Amino acid sequence: MTDRSLSSRTHDLLGSVLGVSALILLILSPSLVDTSGPDPFYKGPLVFPLITLGLILAGSVPSLIRLVRPKDARWYLDGRGKPFRAVKVLVCLVLFLGGLVFLGLEISTLIFLAASLKLVGQDSRPKLLLIPLLVTLILTVIFKYSLGVWFPEPLVMQVFME
Amino acid sequence: MFAHMMDGFYAAFSMANLIALVFGSFVGIVVGILPGLGPMVGMVVLLPFSFSFAPDIALSLLLGVFCGGYFGGAIPAVLLRTPGVPSSIVTSFDGYPLTQKGEAQAGLSAALLGSFGGGIISVMILMFLAPVLAHVAASFGPPEYFTVALFGVVLVVMAFRAQLGRGIMLLGLGFWFSTVGIDGTTLSERYVFGTLAMQNGLDIVPICLGLFGIGQTLILVEQNIMKTDHVHLSRSTLDFSQLWAALKYWKTLIRSGVIGTFVGLLPGTGSILASFMSYDTAKRLSPEKDRFGHGTPEGCIASEAGNNAVPAGAMIPLLTLGIPGDALSAVLLGVFTINGIYPGPLLLVKEPVLISTLYFSMLLINVAAFAMLMIWLRPFAMIVKVPGRLLAVVIMVISMVGIYAVNTRLFDAGVAVAMGVLGYILLRMGWPVVTLVMGVVLGEIMENRMRETLSLGDGSFMILFQRPICLFLLALTLLTIAVPVIRDMQKTRHQDPGASSENK
Repeated sequence: MTDRSLSSRTHDLLGSVLGVSALILLILSPSLVDTSGPDPFYKGPLVFPLITLGLILAGSVPSLIRLVRPKDARWYLDGRGKPFRAVKVLVCLVLFLGGLVFLGLEISTLIFLAASLKLVGQDSRPKLLLIPLLVTLILTVIFKYSLGVWFPEPLVMQVFME
Repeated sequence: MFAHMMDGFYAAFSMANLIALVFGSFVGIVVGILPGLGPMVGMVVLLPFSFSFAPDIALSLLLGVFCGGYFGGAIPAVLLRTPGVPSSIVTSFDGYPLTQKGEAQAGLSAALLGSFGGGIISVMILMFLAPVLAHVAASFGPPEYFTVALFGVVLVVMAFRAQLGRGIMLLGLGFWFSTVGIDGTTLSERYVFGTLAMQNGLDIVPICLGLFGIGQTLILVEQNIMKTDHVHLSRSTLDFSQLWAALKYWKTLIRSGVIGTFVGLLPGTGSILASFMSYDTAKRLSPEKDRFGHGTPEGCIASEAGNNAVPAGAMIPLLTLGIPGDALSAVLLGVFTINGIYPGPLLLVKEPVLISTLYFSMLLINVAAFAMLMIWLRPFAMIVKVPGRLLAVVIMVISMVGIYAVNTRLFDAGVAVAMGVLGYILLRMGWPVVTLVMGVVLGEIMENRMRETLSLGDGSFMILFQRPICLFLLALTLLTIAVPVIRDMQKTRHQDPGASSENK
């Protein structure tokens, strides 16, 4: 932990977002928690969430103050550049989850691996083809056939069946 | 008792258990050698597979990764000054200078001997101390458990006191995550936002897998920190003569193993502190203290014995109190509970064979990891040449499919992705993610014990001051807060006059 990150507005922004979210949840808690439980408050389901949200709020106070009064603080993440590549792979990962429903395990794994490997700078065509094929094969054999895990029938297949 | 020990001994030597622990150790060494991954990633990736095994085999598999990771972490630390696991950075202080002098074998022999010795010593202490602690814990009621958990979370937060606000926030967030879903006591819905999927709550497995598995691999995608082509070893196996030579530091080995075990026993302290403390003690007590930092096998032994003693040390509070000491043992707690086994003082009475199997398996894991590295030192060292980004993408897809397979719920995979994003942000920013995990793990224990304590005390916490064990633990908690704060204040006071004189 560097001194720079301790006085970073990016860090304070994250702390403040957590703090404000906790405050909103704290206010909404009575309606988000079913309080029709046992009578004394300390036996009920609301007491601990209130403490936890209070903790988040208390911990975020220094960040909130620094965000409002920044002094010499700068917008600083960690000095390792912007997370473009990670965001792209993350989008692929979210699409992969959707793909599990629409395209099934095999096709979505193949597409995710090929696309992600390309995104992370893997340019060798044999590797772009072989690694996804091999990993998909291993995953299918282990999860579908050895462990007998049920995967949803791809929606695409249902369309073709109809 | 002897019969149970023998049953455990035979169970540990069963073929399935041996395969599990050898495979786990192998995976552990691999993820330990690869800087940026570490045993946590290995454990969370294997976790979904482990649920289909019997509890003893599942635990052997994951403990293999846990211990193997620390063994593997020493290799790149000695050869490249790049720690495979964070705690191995201390090993590089003396290991890398030895490599520079052309004595890499001496450094590696000392490090691996240290890992092996530290592991064995800590398991011995675990075998002796766990029944004693369990006996004491048998008299614990809800107030005692509550104060133990409180002591644990205070220790974790204070370990990151340079970021106190952030630590408290993440601990609170972890606690809050543990409250989502149906409340086990009153069966009331909490923060489900009208969805059915949220009623089951946020399970520890997708949270850990997301924070460490997905989060860490996203960092690897961004920063190619693993690949290197500079690995040179004179032999493909470990040099026995160097191993024999390192044995002359047996006192350091034993002392460091003991220090590591007791540091591991304290929640939230972790292996980095164990390594540093063992190294520092060895340096202070060594007749060759001038050689420390310039390449002495004694430094490598101390550091590795310290960090490899942590897994068994962390098992002590987990087995006797049901309170995991760190994120890695929290994952092991998941294996216990998914099999309907609840760690606590009665575990040693109710499941004596399982516990004995666990002890012998841990001993065998240390033997297996040591033997594998001794024989295949060069092939293992070459793993650092694998491109990290390629591995990261593959680990991601295995994690996602694995987490879905646990409950065949896409919701869990979604939670893992969301936690992955959070983990990535927190890891990049250097926030104490461990406090978040400890919050999730200890949240349920804290809440249930707090409500029971308040019920016993008619809504008042004064009951804590009427019980001697609670009073002792509360005093310990206060000391945990006060001592570092006073030390920091003294440090600042000592530094100030210097700073002012410099200014003048």
